[in-house]
Amino acid sequence: MYLSDLKIGQKAIVLQASISLPVKLYEMGCMPGEEIELNYAAPFSGPMCFLVQGTLISMRKELAQLVPITEPNVKSLTNG
Amino acid sequence: MVDKKALRVALVGRPNTGKSSLFNRLTGLSQKVGNYPGVTMEKRTGLIKLAPGVLAEIIDLPGIYSLHPSSPDEQVVMDSFLNENVDEKIDVVIGLADGTNLKTCLFVFTQIIDLGIPAVLAVTMSDEMERKGMELDVLGLSESLGVPITLVNGRLGHGIKELQDNILTASVSQNIPFFQPGGLHLEWINKVSEDKNFDIPYKSWLFGLRGSEYEELISSTGKTIARARADEAIKRYRRVNEWLREFFVTHPGKDRRWTARLDRWAVNPFWGSIILLILMFLLFQALFFGSEAPMNFIDDQFAQLSNILKSNLPNGFLSHLITNGIIPGIAGVLIFIPQIAILFGLISLLEESGYMSRVVFIMDRFMRPFGLSGKSVVPMVSGTACAIPAIMSTRNMENSREKWLSIAVAPLITCAARLPVYALLISLVIPDQTFFGLSLRGLVLFSLYMIGFFAALLGSAALNKIMPEAQSNPFLLEMPSYRFPQLRNVGHAIINRTKSFVTEAGKIILAISVVLWFFASFGPGKTPDFTQDYEAIPIEDSYVGKMGKAIEPVMKPLGFDWKVSIAVLSSFVAREVFVGTMATLYSVDDNEKSSIREQMAKQKDPETGEPYFNLAVGVSLLLFYAFAMQCMSTYAVVARETRSHKFAAIQFLILGILAYGASFLSYSILA
Ligand SMILES: Nc1nc2c(ncn2[C@@H]2O[C@H](COP(=O)(O)OP(=O)(O)O)[C@@H](O)[C@H]2O)c(=O)[nH]1
Repeated sequence: MYLSDLKIGQKAIVLQASISLPVKLYEMGCMPGEEIELNYAAPFSGPMCFLVQGTLISMRKELAQLVPITEPNVKSLTNG
Repeated sequence: MVDKKALRVALVGRPNTGKSSLFNRLTGLSQKVGNYPGVTMEKRTGLIKLAPGVLAEIIDLPGIYSLHPSSPDEQVVMDSFLNENVDEKIDVVIGLADGTNLKTCLFVFTQIIDLGIPAVLAVTMSDEMERKGMELDVLGLSESLGVPITLVNGRLGHGIKELQDNILTASVSQNIPFFQPGGLHLEWINKVSEDKNFDIPYKSWLFGLRGSEYEELISSTGKTIARARADEAIKRYRRVNEWLREFFVTHPGKDRRWTARLDRWAVNPFWGSIILLILMFLLFQALFFGSEAPMNFIDDQFAQLSNILKSNLPNGFLSHLITNGIIPGIAGVLIFIPQIAILFGLISLLEESGYMSRVVFIMDRFMRPFGLSGKSVVPMVSGTACAIPAIMSTRNMENSREKWLSIAVAPLITCAARLPVYALLISLVIPDQTFFGLSLRGLVLFSLYMIGFFAALLGSAALNKIMPEAQSNPFLLEMPSYRFPQLRNVGHAIINRTKSFVTEAGKIILAISVVLWFFASFGPGKTPDFTQDYEAIPIEDSYVGKMGKAIEPVMKPLGFDWKVSIAVLSSFVAREVFVGTMATLYSVDDNEKSSIREQMAKQKDPETGEPYFNLAVGVSLLLFYAFAMQCMSTYAVVARETRSHKFAAIQFLILGILAYGASFLSYSILA
């Protein structure tokens, strides 16, 4: 699964990618092992905004499609 | 020049950590805006007295997410630290960390520590930390980092004094290196250190990883550049997380409540778009109508000044130069101040509040096909009032590619100065009829706005295709928490932008307007009689008039006779001058627009005897004004913002060719 598959409010853990992702992603705090949550997304496949390590980071869907994650934690949907 | 003995103190931190607020607090009105050599980025500095006999030059470096550059801003920061030039070496760093977002901020700060430059840490937003019940063990963290820490509140100025004292002690204290690159990387690091004379291995690490120069050596370690940087990031975050567990108490959930609540509306696909639309509409209104009264005031004051001088100064060349060349030139610079002040005040509000990032977020999808980003919305909207503030607003864009594109196409957007020209020509050649219940004249005006808008977008898309692919700069944007803007920061933004416009672009505008005055007032072998009551030489005898006549054959395929050609040429001062020049050429009173129109309507084509200003000529002229960059102030501002007269000149030429082509086509079809 990838970041782009998350629904709003869903949480997951970032996994190690097999391809090389922009290092800026790591440096901004989005790195393997961290919990990440999709906060909101822009319409028409626009950018998506995630909460990770206490920061809100927006990225384009193309990039989100490359970042692997674990199965989302569905419970978080109901628990808010 | 700054006194050599002044301590060079740089502010470094992530964007939105309160860096500008702290800088404004530290330097007050002593700040100056300059430029980094070779790049079009603002450099803000301020000279202050730190202690008796100790001067410090405070340098506000651009906000960064990492010392490894991924953007031009970050490149500038890294270059400042790798600069071994004694005069430009940074003596002390003030690292900034937003206390409500410590983790990612401390990540950058640990990189700074490893540069081996004396550093102090300013933890900002102390008021918000308190409100959100966050607690930081300042002493504990300070000991672990080996760096003095000050809690500051940039809003109220708390902690500034303590920070200044810490700067003084930091210049002698020693920080603990944190990440020491070595191991399998040792070989290439030593090579870089030797080649570049770096005293600190981390500098060599930064330098080596920044580009292709050492790529081969690095890859012989079995790690790619990206891998090495990622490893570094993981190590740093791991350590920062340990510290925070030990020294920081927070109550998650509480800290982002307001931001989450506001974002529910602000980035909602439906409501977010409506809010954005309303805000942009208000921005346009403020710019367009809010500037009207102050602009008229400036205009009137200078006209009066000119009249007073005219009647009091002795007749002569000098008095003519002053009253007709220099004073209108100065007025032509100052007239832009209301719009610039309003626009930058509003932009600063958008940035300060944190909303600008949401604009980028919402608009990204729509602007991308044209090579632009969400931030280009601001220059596009402001351009409908005037290209000058629009082009200046690109300063707030980090990505230089989008910045170039926005500057290149901004003059195509229909600005207020085109309106008088459009109004005159439309009323002249478009019949006062309705078309499906809509006024035909209104429709034509609307089409001209649309032409400008689409020309700008398509032009940008085309340039984006031609422009060489820049290093890929991933779209990664932090959405800051919403905060109430500080008027102090807004004020500084307005003052700085206005000042730099007047002193920099203003010089060029004044120079060009004096030159244009000369061309309009003098002719080959003709000097106006200055001794008597001043009588201007007929415009057709002036240099501009001669030039207009000379280019008539070139303009003929567009349907322009020599009079129109003169008016087009003299419009380079500003587009609306077209109306005044037409009035002069047809010897009618400047102030009666209707009589200009009547005079123009009476003009007959000498060959056919039909009215000269027919549909073909009118449309051709309208299109010419839609495309051509007939505005010396736009030229001046582009030259200043891009730091390149070449860019401005090429832009002027290309838009001129576009204008000629469009007019030629329309005239060939309609005539
Ligand atoms: N509550 C609070 N807000 C602050 C403080 N310092 C800055 N701000 C606000 O935080 C936002 C970002 O500050 P700014 O100085 O523009 O940050 P920069 O992007 O790092 O230059 C602005 O809205 C400031 O008004 C502070 O100490 N407390």
